[in-house]
Amino acid sequence: MQLEKIDDYRWLIPRTYKAGMLTDAVVYASEPLLEAIRRDQSLEQAANVAMLPGIVGRALAMPDIHQGYGFPIGGVAAVDGQDGVVSPGGVGFDINCGVRLLNSNLTLKEVKVKLRDLVHQLFRDVPSGTGQSSRLNISDNDLDQVLQKGPQWAVEHGMGSEADLDRTEERGCIAGADPDAVSARAKQRGKPQLGTLGSGNHFLEVQYVDEIFDEKTASEHNLVKDRIVVLIHTGSRGLGHQICTDYVGQLDVTMRRYGLDLPDRQLACAPIHSPEGQRYLHAMAGAANFAWTNRQLISHSVRGAFQRLFGEAVHLPVIYDVAHNIAKIETHLVDGKKKRVLVHRKGATRAFPKQPVFIPGSMGTASYFLLGQEGALYETFGTACHGAGRVLSRSAAKKGVTAKEIQKELESRGIIVQSLTREGLTEEKPDAYKDIEAVVDVVQGAGLASRVARLRPIGVIKG
Amino acid sequence: MFEFLEHTSDVGIRARGRTREEALVAASQGLVSILVNPSPFRPVEERYFKAPGTDETAQIINWLNEVLFFFDTDGLVFVEFEIDSWTNGEITGRARGERFDIDRHEFRTAVKAATYHQFESHPTSDGWEIRVFVDV
Repeated sequence: MQLEKIDDYRWLIPRTYKAGMLTDAVVYASEPLLEAIRRDQSLEQAANVAMLPGIVGRALAMPDIHQGYGFPIGGVAAVDGQDGVVSPGGVGFDINCGVRLLNSNLTLKEVKVKLRDLVHQLFRDVPSGTGQSSRLNISDNDLDQVLQKGPQWAVEHGMGSEADLDRTEERGCIAGADPDAVSARAKQRGKPQLGTLGSGNHFLEVQYVDEIFDEKTASEHNLVKDRIVVLIHTGSRGLGHQICTDYVGQLDVTMRRYGLDLPDRQLACAPIHSPEGQRYLHAMAGAANFAWTNRQLISHSVRGAFQRLFGEAVHLPVIYDVAHNIAKIETHLVDGKKKRVLVHRKGATRAFPKQPVFIPGSMGTASYFLLGQEGALYETFGTACHGAGRVLSRSAAKKGVTAKEIQKELESRGIIVQSLTREGLTEEKPDAYKDIEAVVDVVQGAGLASRVARLRPIGVIKG
Repeated sequence: MFEFLEHTSDVGIRARGRTREEALVAASQGLVSILVNPSPFRPVEERYFKAPGTDETAQIINWLNEVLFFFDTDGLVFVEFEIDSWTNGEITGRARGERFDIDRHEFRTAVKAATYHQFESHPTSDGWEIRVFVDV
């Protein structure tokens, strides 16, 4: 594919590249990152996103872009809030997969002496959800309330505080969630998994502040060098997976009725204001609220584990919690005019000015705390990247390495890892991903978000 | 008979059989092998599968999603699949397996869903082939 270089951080796929593209696509990448991106189908997929009916502005690809199914992971598309379409594939199966960062009042030195115990305690207290169900045993009515209220439900049940909600995107609740739009199967799949981490790339990390780049913002969030923090990465579990499965299937049928045609069935969509589109958005809101509740409940378990080992005086307030798989109605400037748009962010993080953005690195490598910048608002509908982005397929990652070797290598660097599965270690090994520094360089260089602090892991829990 | 295909973020299954039904059974076994090491599981519990769809693609995707549904809800790992009927509107059949036990069994990778992405199902010179990518 011929790309036009705009500058050191931006590349253009012109709308003339392929019949059906309604707008240009812009890829945020450096030259070396682009080389890695070219190895899979992700640029073709970015061009396909530019075909979404009602798309406004440009289709966008973040520097951590990699091949997904239909939409690339790291893809962003805003569609007209009136005439556009909503695509469940543009959100993904793991609705409101996201990250939450907890602060603490502990130092690296204090935690290091009990690190192994802490990792074991966290592994015991935060179930992965496979072969170990949630310990909550909630009723059907409770589940409906979780879908409607989000983590407010957890706060009402003594598993969090109002302050937690204040530090969560949307206060953990997208309005309009309708439990009736969520199938019985989705509820059945999700109910035993509330409060569980999941497997694959989901994790829980005990980290410390390794370096601060923006003293003012770090101090506003009460972060100092060597402070212990906890990063939680998970989503809406089987509930979200089933909602996406249900609606991709339904919209695959109904899109023909609306005269919609796209190059990949996994991009199935419906007009936002059609009954099908609205129902999906009501179900998606429920899954998003479920995911925020999930991260809230895991935070509660994490707090319990820390208090058990370090005493009652330990507290772990939320720094922020942000989604990276979601579609949201927002107002943005389009061609100089304010416009209501539905922004699909699939593997991309909302990065409004002054908003914290967390970019997890691959297992054992640094993560970043960034701050959203004005530039994101003007060119990416207030969006930045969400991770390092895979480069190796899972089977390629597994070749020639054992879980034990990875565990040993990480331990030699002072990182204790506990994983339910061997695959959790081998498929997620550090070099299966792009270099986080290169990804963050692009986001900062393009003016989308800027570095606040670098966080390094010392304890990793994987499902 | 099945094999896994390379994909940056997900896993592909290429399944072959003498008939379309056999290829679907092989794809189902491939999917189970992504989830767990299937060798110790016995066919002691049975579930009915119902996979409607407006075309063959949707029916196959829905059938494979039944495997994931029963794994998430009942912890069932299927090792035997039987297709009772495959009409223009749906596939019905049965699957037999055993409940997953974290202390006895090896869990591999959670699968979120079977997808339409790059899906193929077609006859070959010696039978039938299905290609499906699943989101992990």
